[in-house]
Amino acid sequence: MSAVIDSLAARPPSQGGAVRAIANKEWLELRRHPRGRLLAWLISTLLLVSLLGGVLHHERAHQERDAAQQGDHEMWNSQGAKDPHGAAHFGQWAFKPPSLLGLADPGVDAYSGGAVWMEAHKRNDAQFRSARDSGVAARLGGLSLAFVLQVVLPLVIIVLGFDAVSGERERGTLRQLMAHGLPATTLVAGKALAMLRALAYLLVPLLLAMVVAAAVMAEPAERGDAVLRALTWVTAHGIYLAGFVALTMCLSSAAPSSRAALVLLLGLWLAATFFAPRLATEVSHAAVPLPSAQQFKRQIADGRAKGFGHDETHPGYLAFRDEVLKQYGVQRVEDLPVNMRGLALKRDDEIGYALYDDLFGKLNHQFDEQDRFRAWPGIAFPLLALQPVSMALAGTDRHHHAHFADAAEAHRRVIQTATSEDLIRNQKYGDTSYRANQDLWKSVPAFDYHPPSAAWALRQAALPLALTLLWATFCGGAAALAARRLRVVG
Amino acid sequence: MLEARSLTKRYGDALALDTLDLTVPPGEVFCLLGPNGAGKTTTVNLFLGFTQPSAGQALVCGVDSAKDPHRARSRLAYIPETVTLYPSLSGLENLLYFSRLGDGLHRSDRDGLALLAQAGLDGERALKPVAGYSKGMRQKVGIAVALARNVGALLLDEPTSGLDPRAANEFAGSVEGLRSRGVAVLMVTHDLFLARQCAQRIGIMQRGRLATVMDAHSVDHLGLEQAYLAASEEVAV
Repeated sequence: MSAVIDSLAARPPSQGGAVRAIANKEWLELRRHPRGRLLAWLISTLLLVSLLGGVLHHERAHQERDAAQQGDHEMWNSQGAKDPHGAAHFGQWAFKPPSLLGLADPGVDAYSGGAVWMEAHKRNDAQFRSARDSGVAARLGGLSLAFVLQVVLPLVIIVLGFDAVSGERERGTLRQLMAHGLPATTLVAGKALAMLRALAYLLVPLLLAMVVAAAVMAEPAERGDAVLRALTWVTAHGIYLAGFVALTMCLSSAAPSSRAALVLLLGLWLAATFFAPRLATEVSHAAVPLPSAQQFKRQIADGRAKGFGHDETHPGYLAFRDEVLKQYGVQRVEDLPVNMRGLALKRDDEIGYALYDDLFGKLNHQFDEQDRFRAWPGIAFPLLALQPVSMALAGTDRHHHAHFADAAEAHRRVIQTATSEDLIRNQKYGDTSYRANQDLWKSVPAFDYHPPSAAWALRQAALPLALTLLWATFCGGAAALAARRLRVVG
Repeated sequence: MLEARSLTKRYGDALALDTLDLTVPPGEVFCLLGPNGAGKTTTVNLFLGFTQPSAGQALVCGVDSAKDPHRARSRLAYIPETVTLYPSLSGLENLLYFSRLGDGLHRSDRDGLALLAQAGLDGERALKPVAGYSKGMRQKVGIAVALARNVGALLLDEPTSGLDPRAANEFAGSVEGLRSRGVAVLMVTHDLFLARQCAQRIGIMQRGRLATVMDAHSVDHLGLEQAYLAASEEVAV
């Protein structure tokens, strides 16, 4: 008889089956618990409101931008007959098209500005920064999908899971569970699976909604890229949240009590969400100081002084004039077959281009250095790593803004070159009455900006993405280690 | 079968269990009595593999609990002083959950209800959330889990503490049912009546040693009480 019983009991349960059984039980409890139901409604509502808010904001911004860009182009084309360089000073506006995934993460858009005035001689900063025009409330941060996923959901995971293992120990069920031959790693894996399942119930519909939004709202040519960005964005947040699940399981297993686990987890959440980003920003600014706006303007002004602008007494102008006369084999400017004024404007612009490329290149390099400084602590404080990934995929980070600003600058140069070359070709020496007409204005193409690809965005965010993955993997390993060290009796 | 071979446990300088030699063969209920701190729960923890022995072995159906605790645990069932269950689940759901973790088998509701009925919990109560259960009802769920596990050994750690006499009597009946199926039962208790009612042998522990082993059928209640009190008084002195 005993041999029969012994043989019956010799078969331990499969780990996969046990993990699923634990996950199913946890899920059942979560559904029945008022805390679980309340949080599910709360988070679903937050996600829905933030998604709808994002969609409405995007649609409005998109329409406004298209109307503004078209109006500006029409204004450019409808200029009457005028001096081409006067038209270059009249300039055009480059309006940044709102990124589709900006509905999920508005990023730095509100601070970086959405329009650049492209005028002669100057590379202007972007204007119309909505944050500057907003009230104090805007400083508190809007309810974006990114905020809900990056800040609120980790807190929800902590609230739901801090006592997942410590609570079993305190209630006495851990002793019973382990007395069944259940390895602690299986228990923790089952608990984690239940939380991941709850997350999946939130994230999968969100992913579908974002993919549908991307497919419906994006321009046909950018549809595939928008869908890829949406998929990657949700996946990156899934990894981040899975890391928080693992961290919660780790501390719930390792902490001496549920209260200690909760305090530790809330402390880490506060540090990761509020303190670390501010501290890392301050440290990065201290480590890689940027020139002030005034200093940067001074650098540009100093550089521009080496050019000659409209000053025909400037030594630079005189040297260039002599070079041109020599090139054409004439002694006087009036004998040139081309217009000297146009040539001088073009040369002066080219000097300016090199200056701007150099100064803005250095500035961007400093920003890159700051970003790297700020990203590395992301190995311990994951929001620092995830935020750049989120903004990059949403197309609302500094890199995307710089890409737009560079495109605007390139278009500004097209305008300058077109107007200067018209002068070179058509204006006779001393003829101050020369006027170009709409043929010239219409020959300048409309500003047609295409945002960079998802692959480009991912390249910009490669380091923080790797750090996010590394952090989540580390948390998973720590949770497994804490589970292996779990003891029923001290 | 449960077997302790020179089983010893030290916590620093304190000797919690001193070279315990004990064999509980299949179909026997062995009751361990003794004052608090005598080493009873330490013995249970060693069989469960929850703590490592300082010396000796605790074998569950031949499996060393220290070397292969998961396998050893898979061969035994355990009912603590208070069976703790998940309050939002019904008795049936708790039974199906714990038993599945124990042996990996999917049981039907009907099988689960039959096991609970065997343990003395009727179907109507079995479907209600455990939050409203008395301690006796929770212990019955624990018994049903043990029945479901179909294992060779059962460890009971003061299982009737706080139960009313009727519930304790029902519990004793369930233990007898398991014993008659060939299960080796080691029960730690302070309940002398239960010990005499259930056990074939009774051991009294004192300062980590198994001081006395008696045949439960040849000792009367008074004799058992005197032996127990003597062990307790020595500890108190």
